[in-house]
Formats: sequence, structure tokens, C-alpha cells
Amino acid sequence: MSDYTTGIKELDAVIGGIRKGSNIMLIGPPMSGKEIILNHILYHGAILNENAIITVTTREPAKHIIDWFHDNNLELPMERIGIVDCVSKTLGGNASETPNIKIASSPVDLTGIGVKISQFLEEFYMKKNNQNIQLHINSLSTILMYSNIQTVFRFLHVFTGRIKAAGALGIYVIESGMHDEQAIATLKQLFDGMIEIKSENDKNYIRIIGISSKPTPWFEYEIIGNKLQILRGN
Amino acid sequence: MVETGIPKLDDYLNGGIPKGKSLVYYSQPGVEGEIFGLQTVYGTLNNGGTCVFVVSSTMPQIIKDQFKDFGWGINTLKDRLFFVDSYNPLIGAPSDEKYVISKPDNIECFNKTIIDIIKELPPSTIVFGSLSTIMDLCGEKETIEAVRNWNKLAMLHDHVLVYNFTAWPYSEQTLDLIKGNLFNSVITIGGIAERVIFGQYFGILKSDWAEISSKSMLFRVLRPGGIRIFIPKILVTGPFDAGKSTFVHALSTRAISVDRLGTTIAMDHGHIDYKGFSADIFGTPGQERFDPIIKLLSGESMGVFLVVDSTNPSDFVRAKHMLDITKSYGLPYVIVANKQDLPGALKPEEVREQFHLPDDVPVVPVVAKDKKGVYEAFEILIERITGGI
Repeated sequence: MSDYTTGIKELDAVIGGIRKGSNIMLIGPPMSGKEIILNHILYHGAILNENAIITVTTREPAKHIIDWFHDNNLELPMERIGIVDCVSKTLGGNASETPNIKIASSPVDLTGIGVKISQFLEEFYMKKNNQNIQLHINSLSTILMYSNIQTVFRFLHVFTGRIKAAGALGIYVIESGMHDEQAIATLKQLFDGMIEIKSENDKNYIRIIGISSKPTPWFEYEIIGNKLQILRGN
Repeated sequence: MVETGIPKLDDYLNGGIPKGKSLVYYSQPGVEGEIFGLQTVYGTLNNGGTCVFVVSSTMPQIIKDQFKDFGWGINTLKDRLFFVDSYNPLIGAPSDEKYVISKPDNIECFNKTIIDIIKELPPSTIVFGSLSTIMDLCGEKETIEAVRNWNKLAMLHDHVLVYNFTAWPYSEQTLDLIKGNLFNSVITIGGIAERVIFGQYFGILKSDWAEISSKSMLFRVLRPGGIRIFIPKILVTGPFDAGKSTFVHALSTRAISVDRLGTTIAMDHGHIDYKGFSADIFGTPGQERFDPIIKLLSGESMGVFLVVDSTNPSDFVRAKHMLDITKSYGLPYVIVANKQDLPGALKPEEVREQFHLPDDVPVVPVVAKDKKGVYEAFEILIERITGGI
């Protein structure tokens, strides 16, 4: 039994799970369902593996994420959920912090985002004694819109290190086709593996690279409603 | 002299930051370092000074909201607070502030505005909300050169310059300069980390006007409240019926006791928030059969109050034994000579003689039930824990 799993059983069966302290890039084209895949990993980790999940959201307010699960009748174990919301303040709303939501002032404020991540890590690891933690950053692409690649690299250098030290799992979402190849190559140095998504002929495929000795096959998938469904491998 | 407004830091710095000097809050990523600059802004305004806040990583309005979160009313002070907005132009939004950096990735734009401010405003405190963000956008070398120039000009015009800096993995040369000779004073803010950061501290790395102490202070950030010096746990022990629970309750802003028929059988727990110090207080039971609890509790404590009944010297042997248990862990301690209001109470000096205590161990006269002397005892213990800083 490995330390972490994605909850996508066809992929987990091939890779056999993900080691503690791993940092993984989730990369794919826009509108390929990355968010639902990430939510799937989140829900599976929190429910079945009792992982604590820290999600950094730069795309939508924290409340939307919680509402999405609620609207889809997926009950989140809130004592294991922490969301760092980097959006609400910049939208000028009256967002306030709750035990599950910490507010960072903007996607530029990497210092502030880092503080909030550290606070959740302390809370789950020390106070709630849960040493199986996932950190999801959704998405690096938004952060890269405001800060240059060196700045984001330095930020990730620190936090991928913290993930390793804490024996956690880090998943970092990035849009393919939005950044130059060199930027992606620079960031790749920080990661142990990649969940890769591609779209071809109106079909979506997913595979995992770097976690097992060779890449998994591409699996075709569909997003039906709120669910990720693997159709076949090739 | 400008006070930083950070508890104890002004004492460390001989009263604050002298006019014309620069100071950097050098924070490890992941610890709450940015509040240091913010609290310095508030400290300056509160003491009648003028302040300029250079905002780089968020909107000025959000900074104003943060003052509110900390319970610092700035409405009456805002005519002495100016913002330099370099965030809104970065995201392409309009700015209402008096000073705006139109190209936040161009150090020349910063230069022009900051130098104008230095030359035009009366002696002020100029606080940079995030020097690291400016460096990220404008480049390490370029920013360092500009900072060197600003610090020099500020000296000529009697301004105080304060920078928040997050020590991301920049080049070693850059980090060495920032910790080295770029600023008159460097305050390091770090995290106590095992596998995750679970405590925060600050200390002076460098100051060219005050003698440096190697002591670091633990702190927490309270909303409202701001930075509070944090002492995780203080032990209150002593013989049966010496008044330990009364002492814990007298000292604490809130406290609870686990007792049976008026006698503590597990422990007392209280929390104190006093003059910038925050501490958890644990009281032990007095009876011998509970001694293992004292050992357990004192192992994680940072200091000890030994409470004795000043009218009952026959119990001092027992008290001494309890002190031995805690002293074996090398903790600083203070003797609380309680029940000073009762007839026959020994004076503190007599208590000291009975105990054969060295002269440097404080014996504080206390009437716990009337809260007399309890805060004095607390201050003395804190001084001993922090090495008198």
C-alpha cells in the first residue's frame, strides 16, 4: 500500500501509488476538466485515505469550491479541509476567514500565500496530528500571470521542499499552451512527476509520468456531470 | 527616535529606530513577517509621526482593512499616512492614491517617487510592504542599488526607512548584502520547524546603534492585537494549600481548574495576555501522589512559579522538594511568597533564608486572593526567561 493515491483506479493500478514527499505537476489544456480531476483527487484523498487537503485557489473564491462539492452531493470532511483563497480580496468582496478558509491578499502576494499554507500545515500536522497532507495549487498559471518565472520558481523551491520535509503530496496545476516551453522546463525540475492531460480529436486523455518506472499508458476519459470516467487505455 | 511598536523590540533597540536609520525585517518564507512593517506603521502614527507605506503585493485598501483586523483605528490618523501604490498599476487597475508607481517593474519609476517623497516630506517613517516583490519585478541588483541610494538620502533628510523582506532563495550575494551592510539594522523573523513550522520568533541580527543580544523572542499574531510575545507554558507548583489555583486564576485572563472538593487533582490551566506577553499557565496539584504530573508538565515549560504559604514554614521542605523536581530540568523560577496578608506571614527575606536560596532568586510577596503582587511576579519571571531583555 503506497502513501498516496489519486483515486483514479486505472492509473493507481499502474503506478501503485505515490510516495510521501512527492511533488507533481498537473498539466493540461484549458477546458479539459483539470478542475474536476483535481476535485476527484481531493475528494478521494480526504474521504477514503483520510488525508488533510490544503487547496490554494487563484481562480475562484473558496466558497465556490465548497459549494461545488455540496451541489454535487459530495460531503466534504471539513475538519480535514483548508482553502487558501487568493481571489476574494481582489474581487472586493467581504470575504472573511473561517476555520476552513484563509484569505491571501492577491495572487502576487506569494509571501502571504506562503504564510497561510504554513499555518494550515501546522494545524493539520501538529494540532490535528494528521501526517498525510496534500497541497493543491490551482493554478500556477494564474500566479505566473502576475509574477515572473524566477519568482514563482523561488516560491515553489521553498514549498516543494516543505512538502518533502512534511512527507506530504503536492499537486500543482498548470495550463499547457499558455507558457513558453522554457518556463515549463524550468518548473519541471522541481517536480517528481507529472499528471499529463491532452486533447485530440475532441477526446481527452490522461497519463502519469515519473512516478512509476515508465509512463502509464494514455487513458481516454470523459467528464460526465461531476464525475471523471476512464473509458479505455491505449 | 521612532518606535517600532513591536513588544520588547523597542527595548532591544534602545527605544526604537533613530532618525536617519534603516531597518529590515528579514523573514523566512512561511512566517508572519509582514505584520512587523504594518505594526511599525501603526506605532509611528500612534506616536504622532508621519508615515508612508509602499504597497507592492496588494491593494492599499486591503492594507487599510488589515489595520481594522488588528483593531488599530487609523481613521483619525489617516491624514498622516500616505500610500505609494505599485500594485494597482501592476494589475492594470486605476489607483486613488496620491503616489502611484506607474511602471512597477521599472526601478526608475520607484526611484523618482521615493526620492521625491524623501526630499519633500518632513522626517517620516517610510515602510516598504514587500521589498522582495519590488526585487522580483525590478531585478535584484537594480533594487539593491536603489535601496542603497534611498537609505543614504533618508539619512540626510532624517527619515526612517523600514523594509519587509521575505528571504526567498535569491542569490547568496543578495541575501548576504541584505543581512550585511545594506541596512543599519536587521531583524530576523523565523520559524521553529520540525517537519512543519510550529512556532515563530524574532531576534536582532544586527544593529549599529544598539548592543545586540542573542536572545530570540517567540511571538504569535493576534487579530485583533498584533504581535504578542509568546511564552508557551509556565508552570505553577508548590505544596498543598499554598494557593496555587488562586494564583493561576488571579494571573490569568481566563482559567479553569480540575478539582475535587476544592483541591486541585489534575491541573489548573490559565492564559495570560499582559504587556505584550502571552503565556499559558499550568498549575500542578500539591499532593505528593501527583508528583509525576509535575515532572511531565515541567518538561515542556519555560519557567516556574513556586508558590508557598508564607505562614506555614513547615511545608517549605515539601516545597523545596517540588522545586528540586522542576529545577532538575534547568528552568528559571520565581518564589511566590503567598498569603502575605495573614498574621505570622514570613517576609520575603525570611522565606529566602528558610529556603537557603541564592541571592539572585527572586522571592516576591503576594496576596493571590487580592491579586496583589501577581503581575510583578509574572514580569520578574518573564525577565528571567528572556534573560532580562
